[in-house]
Amino acid sequence: MKISDTIRRAGRSLRQAKARTLLTSLAIGVGAFTITLSLAGGQGGRDYTDAIVKANTDVNELLVTKKAPQANAIQEYAPNTGGTSTGPLGRSVATISNADIADIQKIDGVESVTPNYEPSVNYITTEGQKKYVATLATYSPSVALEYAAGSVSGELGDNEIILTQDYAAVLGFANAADAVGKTVVINATKLSTSFEKVPQTKDYTFVVKAVSSKSGLAFRSQSSMLISINEAKNIYTYVNEGTSAYGQFLLTSVHVKDASKASDIKSVLASKGYDAQTAADVLGTVNTFINVLLGILLGFGALAVLTSVFGIINTQYISVLERTQQIGLMKALGMSARDVGRLFKYEAAWVGFLGGVIGSGFAFIVGTLANPLITKALNLGDISLLKFAPTQVAIVIVGLILISVGAGILPARKASRLDPIEALRTE
Amino acid sequence: MIEIKSITKTYGKKQNAFLALDNISFDVPDGMTIAIIGKSGSGKSTLMHAMSGLDRPEIGEVVIDGENILTLKQRKIDAFRASKMSFIFQSFFIQPNETCYDNVVLPLEIAEVSRGQRRAKVEAALAAVELGDKIRVKAANLSGGQKQRLAIARAIVNEPKILFADEPTGNLDSVTGGVVEDFLFNYSRTNKATLIIVTHDPDLAGKCDAQIEIVDGKIYSTKGLKETSEGEIA
Repeated sequence: MKISDTIRRAGRSLRQAKARTLLTSLAIGVGAFTITLSLAGGQGGRDYTDAIVKANTDVNELLVTKKAPQANAIQEYAPNTGGTSTGPLGRSVATISNADIADIQKIDGVESVTPNYEPSVNYITTEGQKKYVATLATYSPSVALEYAAGSVSGELGDNEIILTQDYAAVLGFANAADAVGKTVVINATKLSTSFEKVPQTKDYTFVVKAVSSKSGLAFRSQSSMLISINEAKNIYTYVNEGTSAYGQFLLTSVHVKDASKASDIKSVLASKGYDAQTAADVLGTVNTFINVLLGILLGFGALAVLTSVFGIINTQYISVLERTQQIGLMKALGMSARDVGRLFKYEAAWVGFLGGVIGSGFAFIVGTLANPLITKALNLGDISLLKFAPTQVAIVIVGLILISVGAGILPARKASRLDPIEALRTE
Repeated sequence: MIEIKSITKTYGKKQNAFLALDNISFDVPDGMTIAIIGKSGSGKSTLMHAMSGLDRPEIGEVVIDGENILTLKQRKIDAFRASKMSFIFQSFFIQPNETCYDNVVLPLEIAEVSRGQRRAKVEAALAAVELGDKIRVKAANLSGGQKQRLAIARAIVNEPKILFADEPTGNLDSVTGGVVEDFLFNYSRTNKATLIIVTHDPDLAGKCDAQIEIVDGKIYSTKGLKETSEGEIA
């Protein structure tokens, strides 16, 4: 018997038991639904974190810290290799000194080393407005920003600043566009001022170059205002010069020439006693979390599929019993045992196919309807958290067909081994 | 030519052993219509199963056109049945939920007849049993006599040279039964096909060229048949 004829006959047998076929398919469809949705969620989640990391970090950038000394080990005093400063909870944290920076600079493939200045300032204000507490961060052209007004191409110039929408609003500008081109003042205090004297402060004037908008992706742009590295260094020097912390950085960013060499440089840094984190590491950490969630969901899907496997075995056994005469007749007419077995395996395959199509189709509909709601609820902007990849859906369906055929093997064997004489005797 | 050479078939084991066929031998020339008669349990159906290769007797040979089908591999026997034989049963065994076309095309699919030839063959077979207008009708909607005619159409669609009929009129009244008988004999005559009818109806048996009466697994009597030397006449 030709395979195409067997497949058609199998499909026809299923049509004759519509309710049973549908119910068995629905059982496997539940699994298909769960698996398709979790795969879509995983895909969307990975794309989302990928976008977040891309928007906030630079693939050419390594974030470097010095390895902290063992908590209980006694350290030899070394005055010139950078000190330790007391971090949170009183733990001592190693800092990076200018000597370390020079050392890192020498590593092959490193383009530049920029300490994390991010100076602490007192307030930001503009003419005729109140003073507001502010934090500053350095601008990097390779971190994607979304702008509400104005834009920056290439490096940010000295004396230029990127405000956030919130600050633009509280500083009394009519709207984001109104702020661009205006000046703001940032005030910083010199820390080394002795107690007796009046604290020494200094005003820095900046021209607003652009206003960053709130984005579902960016972390920094929501709270920090961005200035150029030079300007950050200036303020840092003013604030910290003369203190023990001056020239000691907790964090420094290392810019590498080739992003693909980032992990090599990371290991060189590690051998020199630094901890480095690449963009891939950041992404990896977040993705591990997503993968665990995905794994749990897929587990539920697999359980549903497993349950439906028993459903298929059961239905197919009943089908063999019901069609004993038909099997006997087909064998009497010369159908080989192999073809009889195939007929039942293809029936199971049809059930798997139907279940897969119903389940993933339903998942697609639900996902498409739910996407705008999820995006709205989580305030993700224009990001869809459920992404259906056609190849994944195809793999799910093919996989379910194979699993169903596997489930159909035992009933199919029973059918193929039926003695035609016995089968035709049953009334 | 079908040559049955001293076939013996036992059911059960040791003390419970039951001799269903006991050393039966006879020849059936091509194109002959022959009735195997006997009471139920006499072994006449077992004989039919042995002759068609559905069952394998422990001893003996069933030689069809010079080939002993009992020594063939199962796949070969299946292929042999698909191309040369067909069956009609007392309870029709048609698929009520399928159309007449789908019922009749089954043997063609099994025998892997090319798709282009199927339609014409099915139409011819249905026309031969006067069901040409029912091709798209579901088998469940046919009357009893029509169902058996449909079974005949299915049996003759691939033009078998040997046709087995197991109590073909057993479930039919005498009028519809007579019509069914006519179709069977007609097919045998026009196609020079061997027709082997298993029945306990003496009238139907009387219409055949030859008769074999089986009692307790042995040939009790024959009529119109030349028995081979190995055969035993009780």
